[in-house]
Amino acid sequence: MALTLEQVSIGLAGRQLIRPVSLVIAPGETVTLMGASGSGKSTLLSFLAGDLASPFTAAGAVSLAGVALDGLPPEKRRIGRLFQDDLLFPHLTVAENLLFGMPRGARAKRMAKVAAALAEADLPGFGDRPPHTLSGGQRARVALMRALLAEPRAMLLDEPFNKLDAELRQSLRGFVFGHIAARRIPCLMVTHDLADVPLGGRLLLLKEGAVSHA
Amino acid sequence: MPFTLTRRSFASLMAMTPFLSPARAEDGWAAIAAEAKGQTVYFNAWAGSPQVNAYIAWAGEELSKRYGITLQHVKLADTAEAVRRVRDEVKAGRQGSADLVWINGENFHVMKEERLLYGPFAEDLPNFALVDVDGKPTTRIDFAESTEGLESPWGMAQLTFFADGAKLGTPPMSMMELLDLAKAEPGRITYPSPPDFHGDTFIKQALVETIEDRSLLPVAVDKATFTGAVTPLFDYLDQLHPHLWRAGKQFPQSQAQVTQMLADGELLMGLTFNPNEAANLVMAGTLPATTVAWQNRDGSIGNTHFVAIPINAKAKAAAQVTANFLLSPEAQARKADIKLWGDPTVLDMDKLAPAQRALFSDARLPGSVTTTARTIPEPHGSWVPLIEAAWLARYGA
Amino acid sequence: MTRLAGAFPLALLWALPLLASLAMLAPAAADVAAWRMALAHPQLWPALALALTTGGLSSLLALATSLLLIGTLWRSAAWGRLQSVAAAGLALPHLAFAIGFGFLIMPSGLVARLLVGGEAPPQWITVQDPWGIALTLALALKESPFLLTASFAVLSRGDAALRLRQECRAAATLGHAPGSAFLRIVVPPLLKTLRWPLVIVFVYGASVVDMALVLGPTQPPTLAVVIWRALNDAEPATNAMGLAMTLLLTGALALALALVVLLLRFGRRAFHRMLTSGPSLLPAPALAGAIIGFAAFAPLAFASSIVVLLSVAPRWPYPALLPPAVSLSAWTAVAPAALWLSLGLALAAALVAVASAVLWFETQPRARDRWVIGMALAALALPQLASAGGQYRLFLPIGLTGTLPGLFLAQLTPVAAYVLIVLAGPYRGFDVRYMVAARALAASRLSAWRRVKLPLLKAPLLTAAAIGFAVSMAQFVPAQLMAAGRFSTLPMEAVTLASGGNRPLTAAFALMLALPPLAVFFAAALLGRPRWR
Repeated sequence: MALTLEQVSIGLAGRQLIRPVSLVIAPGETVTLMGASGSGKSTLLSFLAGDLASPFTAAGAVSLAGVALDGLPPEKRRIGRLFQDDLLFPHLTVAENLLFGMPRGARAKRMAKVAAALAEADLPGFGDRPPHTLSGGQRARVALMRALLAEPRAMLLDEPFNKLDAELRQSLRGFVFGHIAARRIPCLMVTHDLADVPLGGRLLLLKEGAVSHA
Repeated sequence: MPFTLTRRSFASLMAMTPFLSPARAEDGWAAIAAEAKGQTVYFNAWAGSPQVNAYIAWAGEELSKRYGITLQHVKLADTAEAVRRVRDEVKAGRQGSADLVWINGENFHVMKEERLLYGPFAEDLPNFALVDVDGKPTTRIDFAESTEGLESPWGMAQLTFFADGAKLGTPPMSMMELLDLAKAEPGRITYPSPPDFHGDTFIKQALVETIEDRSLLPVAVDKATFTGAVTPLFDYLDQLHPHLWRAGKQFPQSQAQVTQMLADGELLMGLTFNPNEAANLVMAGTLPATTVAWQNRDGSIGNTHFVAIPINAKAKAAAQVTANFLLSPEAQARKADIKLWGDPTVLDMDKLAPAQRALFSDARLPGSVTTTARTIPEPHGSWVPLIEAAWLARYGA
Repeated sequence: MTRLAGAFPLALLWALPLLASLAMLAPAAADVAAWRMALAHPQLWPALALALTTGGLSSLLALATSLLLIGTLWRSAAWGRLQSVAAAGLALPHLAFAIGFGFLIMPSGLVARLLVGGEAPPQWITVQDPWGIALTLALALKESPFLLTASFAVLSRGDAALRLRQECRAAATLGHAPGSAFLRIVVPPLLKTLRWPLVIVFVYGASVVDMALVLGPTQPPTLAVVIWRALNDAEPATNAMGLAMTLLLTGALALALALVVLLLRFGRRAFHRMLTSGPSLLPAPALAGAIIGFAAFAPLAFASSIVVLLSVAPRWPYPALLPPAVSLSAWTAVAPAALWLSLGLALAAALVAVASAVLWFETQPRARDRWVIGMALAALALPQLASAGGQYRLFLPIGLTGTLPGLFLAQLTPVAAYVLIVLAGPYRGFDVRYMVAARALAASRLSAWRRVKLPLLKAPLLTAAAIGFAVSMAQFVPAQLMAAGRFSTLPMEAVTLASGGNRPLTAAFALMLALPPLAVFFAAALLGRPRWR
């Protein structure tokens, strides 16, 4: 169930933003990618997720659990994402947000999963609340549970703790990495903050288009 | 025989072919009537008056009952719409969407000149024999232009003024008396600005009453003659304007606006082309019962309005039957009834049978004209654009 | 290929007919005689100046009014009510408002009856003043609801409203008082959204005919009135002069807009210096907003109630404060068939316009918007007698005149133009990250659109549809031309009857024309209200 990148490169206007890089992320492993703003970190995540915006180009092969992802639309890749903002849908309740990506099935079963997720996020009884009535930390936890309930086979994290205050960050890091590790899926994280890097995790640096081990 | 045409096919050929002259004899008319049965006439007519619309609806019911013709009133805000539509259709080679048009004056001139009209047909209509062509010469001469049978007379019009008798002492019976009144009541009198039809007519009335040589009026005029002839007219207007509403710097846009301002109490006098309009407005409650109407002592500008058939009309036979019905004593009497419309008839009472004459009531109502003045024919059509341009250059900006 | 296909509905139903009809106007540009006649017209230049000043000043006034109102109310409980009031003001036809407003301020009007009285009305110059002040004020009052409605499309859009509130909170933490935060946080994105609606307001104000006939100056009138008369004439030469003047007016409007764009480019730095000049204690414009709100909506409310009275008063002479007699006859003149046809056409045109606009925005790159927006503005800027006349001559040889499809396409032209302009800002301003998030949650493109974007854009989509509906319900010229007498719509019945100048009838019909759009605007406001606020 590894996430494999083979000679992946990102281009912009005929220039290579990221030179070819190969990488294997093992199940349960979290790899952190650090680099200056505008170095192309987030663009790489977009490419892996399958929605690279039009001025950018990319080459190379990506596979997840041995299945090639090239050409697959985002919704078929089963890659979960967390962003700087929680991006909870404002027109849906917390529970509806959690149901959004969950595979179809019996209603009772799905609702049970929602309840379990809310309990795990320490938000029991919050299901019917609109997202904007929650605090930042609560929303971030809902966002993670929402992503995990879609049963992803890999996770991409784009500076997920960036907008939270320091105390919250610390508790949320534990929450996020704990859950991802428990599901034994590969995870690639982009961040500015060295403190985000999980203990013993691999750290890569992106500098002037080249990816190197720290 | 090589030409064994049945009557019916002959009539339909006539109806479809504008280049042949329509059937003249009575049996020709019977054929037209037969051809007309089942046809739909799209009657393009100005629809700004509920009374007129109700009258046309009544005519439709009668035509359907009597001749099996369906009359559709195509409601227009401005007759020029129909003129442009027919012109475009003919240019594009399409069959017409209009079968009958309510028309006169400039619109008729344009259509006649551009050969957009079917006919001559008007003087072959059986009921045309009842028209007062001698007493009302404008039934054959539309704005100094011969109708040549291309339009059938429908009703009469004559410039008429009206006011609230409770507020106005003696009505001014000439343009000079009007000037005196304006001096006495500054800011309370005005007229619509040209090219509004009624504004044009007000100026034409002033032209008729001030021009030195009236024989110039019925003929085409050139720029040089015009400039000389209108000097007294513009002298008069120059004297009049400072005493008008807004000191003659601004003018209302339409006759309807003038009427409204009269009803609201802002103006003293209104003007109309229908001698019975004031009475009609009293009936409708728009004007008070003390309303009086008059025409200038030495006569006022008058004309006739007509119906015409476009050259590309689909239902030419039914359009002729309709035009003929509109000329019938019954239809004309109903139209002249002040309670219903009040549009004066084009018929000659002396040509009617007593029973037909009895259909017309003489009853006067509050707001009726007390003494009818002589009708002065419209000046030749060439005067109008020159008057409008000269007026605009002088007072327009 | 699907990307290209997404542009087809708009191109086939709207853009191609529009371009072809505009092309029909091309010969007019080369008609030397017509240009000579137009340039020799003594009213041309003063009338053009009047058109530009009334259009320009009324747009600025409407913008200032709207901003003040929004600044006062946007975070208050009255915000929802403002939406309904604006919808009512928007639904009221221009002509109805002009009649009511005129009866309020004219010398024999209600104000004079209350303040002056006496036998004869005072000789005030309150309507049809030579400077066009009455027309400018009326336009500003009538267009404020349109700008407000266009603002709601952003301020009531779930994602954007939320972000603006957060940003205002952030500004407060940085020492900005509410007024200062509003000016520096809300106004800039608002102005960006309002630029196309503002262009419409300017173009409309500079080319309006029906209001100018009631309230505008007469010697000279605004250029639109001169053009309208020329195009209405039976003489082809006068029509041609009208077309030349139309092109001149359009060119002048384009030039004026270009000038504004240039000024804005220079003004941009000053604007940003203001934005970043530091926190100020500017309070929310409570008092000024209340005064402006009253000054803007009192005439609207009075004018509409006066129109109701006028519609049942055959006669209402000076100095009576109430009509002496009441009659319902004006209300009984409507043909039900015309009403049904109009409702059907309006509904179909609004839905097709919104659907093809959405297809366009979804499939076409943003850079192409300027072409359709430009065309939409051209469609709205040209007098309808000219543009609809071109379309009529286009449809005539192919037999589409006098048919229902022809009538529908004629209605769609202005409807789609309005919908495109109103929708472009909110639709393109949507935060696409929500779509990215949805697709990361295994939603397909279509499913993400249906489940996330559609509900979040519900308010602007419904507003655009309602505006499209109202626009369709107000079409006279294109409908009258294309119907060729074979169909009759409510506006056709109304305008032909109003040509007689009967005030009760005109008032009654204007109100009847207002009722269906009013219902639709209320429904749109109700359905579009975000439940997560």
